[in-house]
Amino acid sequence: MTDQPASQLNSDSPITHSGTNPVSASHLSNELKSQLQQNFSAPQIALAELEVPIEIYLSGINGALARQPRMDLITADLVTNVEVSSRWKPHLPKLPTFKLTFPEGIEFVPPKPEVESKGKLRSLKPLEVKLNSKGIKKEAVASEATLGCIVHSGPAFYLLQPPIENWLTGQELVMPFEPFDYQYEGIAWLFSRKSALLADEMGLGKTMQTITAMRLLLRSGQISKVLLICPKPLIPNWQREFATWAEELPVTTVTGDTARRRMIWEMNKPGIYLANYELLVRDFEELEQEGITPRFDLLVLDEAQRIKNRDSRTASTARSVNRKRSWALTGTPIENRAEELASLFEFMEVIPPRGTPDMRQLSRLSDEYILRRCKDLVLDMPPRLDRPAWLELEGAQAHAYKIAEKEGIIQLNDLGDSITVQHVFELVLRLKQISNYDPVTNESAKLDRLRADMEEIAASGGKAILFSQWTKTIDWIEERTQEFNPLVYHGGVPTKKREPILAQFKEDPNAHLLLMSYGTGAVGLNLQFAGYVFLYDRWWNPAIEDQAINRAHRIGQKNPVVVTKFICKDTIEEKIDRVLQEKRDLFISILGAEGNTEASMGLNASEIFGLFDLKARDGDSTREIGPDTLAA
Amino acid sequence: MAALGSKKQLHLGFLSAIEVKDRGYVGGLLVTNHFGRPLEFQCTAPVRPNHTQEVLFGPTLVPYLYNELIGKTLLEKAGVKPDLVLTEDERVLGLREFVNLPVGFLHEGTSACADALRLGQQKVSFHERHPTDRDVLYELGSLVAEETDLFEPFDRVKEALQEALQQNKQRAA
Repeated sequence: MTDQPASQLNSDSPITHSGTNPVSASHLSNELKSQLQQNFSAPQIALAELEVPIEIYLSGINGALARQPRMDLITADLVTNVEVSSRWKPHLPKLPTFKLTFPEGIEFVPPKPEVESKGKLRSLKPLEVKLNSKGIKKEAVASEATLGCIVHSGPAFYLLQPPIENWLTGQELVMPFEPFDYQYEGIAWLFSRKSALLADEMGLGKTMQTITAMRLLLRSGQISKVLLICPKPLIPNWQREFATWAEELPVTTVTGDTARRRMIWEMNKPGIYLANYELLVRDFEELEQEGITPRFDLLVLDEAQRIKNRDSRTASTARSVNRKRSWALTGTPIENRAEELASLFEFMEVIPPRGTPDMRQLSRLSDEYILRRCKDLVLDMPPRLDRPAWLELEGAQAHAYKIAEKEGIIQLNDLGDSITVQHVFELVLRLKQISNYDPVTNESAKLDRLRADMEEIAASGGKAILFSQWTKTIDWIEERTQEFNPLVYHGGVPTKKREPILAQFKEDPNAHLLLMSYGTGAVGLNLQFAGYVFLYDRWWNPAIEDQAINRAHRIGQKNPVVVTKFICKDTIEEKIDRVLQEKRDLFISILGAEGNTEASMGLNASEIFGLFDLKARDGDSTREIGPDTLAA
Repeated sequence: MAALGSKKQLHLGFLSAIEVKDRGYVGGLLVTNHFGRPLEFQCTAPVRPNHTQEVLFGPTLVPYLYNELIGKTLLEKAGVKPDLVLTEDERVLGLREFVNLPVGFLHEGTSACADALRLGQQKVSFHERHPTDRDVLYELGSLVAEETDLFEPFDRVKEALQEALQQNKQRAA
């Protein structure tokens, strides 16, 4: 339809002010009427019927009203499917999980089924590294990985432990073995004491008595948090003993990096906390600086002679631990001086700080706070047969010894008044080493004797432990006793390898000889399957020697233990042996008659000087030199 | 004195989940022995349903998450399989339809229904379509001492989950 110009309409019509041209229907021209009739034929309505006054406005499109509309036909498909704008289906997404299996649970985890390879080889594909659009390695759900890390290494391990009151709920007090009567007494004695020093002779089961007393205190609700400090090599031993005697008690070993240890110290979770002396000192100094003071109901010091020096950091740190009960365990409460016992009493808080009780007071305190039993009094033990082996140095070894002694004494004398204990000590060590073997010719009277004895022991299927002061000597002996399959256990052996060595010594019938150092092998180890002990050289303190011997001569030993002490005649060893023997009974008055086996002293400065006839030149004459005590 | 302990073991699985604001749901399963000592702990990564899921699942969303998604996954992946799975939420009894392990709803003894069995201080109800699940308690239920509070391990699970999430958040920050 096209537009019709407005001028084609009746131009004579009056035009209103609004621009419209009002006309009456009756005044429509015939031509227009007919045109309208033609175009709008239907409905058939007589125009007369439309005789209504209307006005036609001049809109400019009136002409278009009379034009025929133009119609076009198009075809369209019928829509039969409805479009779905979005779709959602439920599905099970893969959900990552993080697992922490506790040591007690490992035995219940079924082994993974083996995948059958069907004898076919498959090629290995290199690991695919997914990169994002920026070429950066995709972190596979970083937050989830971190979550897993926390579960494995973090506090979840401790948070998931049961509360103290649940540990023993309804449980029987299971003991793997029937305790001896004296052990029952010891347990009851510890149980009832706030301060206690259990000083039973080595091998009587101090560990078991302590664990059981702890267990009873925990069950009765008297304690809930225990800190047990022991030398580092004894940590596995305590873990094993806890598993044996109180499997239900969770033991937390304080170990790991600084952050992990810090977390353990700050935890207020009840339980048994096991740590070594070095960690105690290091960590508590740091904690103290930050004002953190972990609290314990009971502090137990194993091998408590470690705090014999009351001014040492170890002793002062142990005293600073916030605790309600203080127990000390040691087979040698006095190693050198009565003050050592005073240090233990100070830790136990039974004497005031810096208190110096006299011998009478010490004796009275010992009666009240120390429990000590000796094996020969409480057990029907097989005997310990001490057999000093007096040996004579010969040939090159004897010559080397004499030269060293002579030159050494000359050098000491030349030092005059500037001589120190250290100088003498160095000479003693050198002479002891030559007594073990001549480093130039490798001649050794002790080795000859050892080999002779070992042939007999090995032939009878026996096992022997040998102790020496030096790891170098141990390694030297190992090279020369290969026919007895020797095993070495000393400070140079990594901690992780030590337990397997002991296990091999026990189980391997061909391993007849275990070579140990006093420092590493003297305490806490159970080697009662060995019937022979060799002391290749002498330790300064008979108490340490006894501890070493008691590795074999302890509960469970079924046969007499033969102890062979090698002593070279006319050497420094003979003098040391004599001095130590004289000192064995010195402190009987403190610990009573039962204490005489262990109340022994090491060599002090004056005694070391006294091993030699030392003199200093004083003008044309000489005079004796040494510490005041010796001169007096 | 000879060893007096029984060698029988009852492993209990304590299944719980927490909802964390803006993080979704995290599930945890603690498997203990009958003394309550932990043997294994597992937790899931956070599951966060989107709005469509919330609308379409409606009231069935939580049972779906707890049972089909969290509970089923945790039990499938458990190394130490529990003899009985315990839950504090009755809706989780539906988990039994998806796993082949007895599932018990733990509740206070006073509010117990008639056929519930006593375990420790509480009572346990089982899925009605799995009546033989009760046999595990007939056989081993006596290992759990009467004074044992079996709600307590659920606190441990929740505490461990909260701690893990909190640490995770701190590390992420």
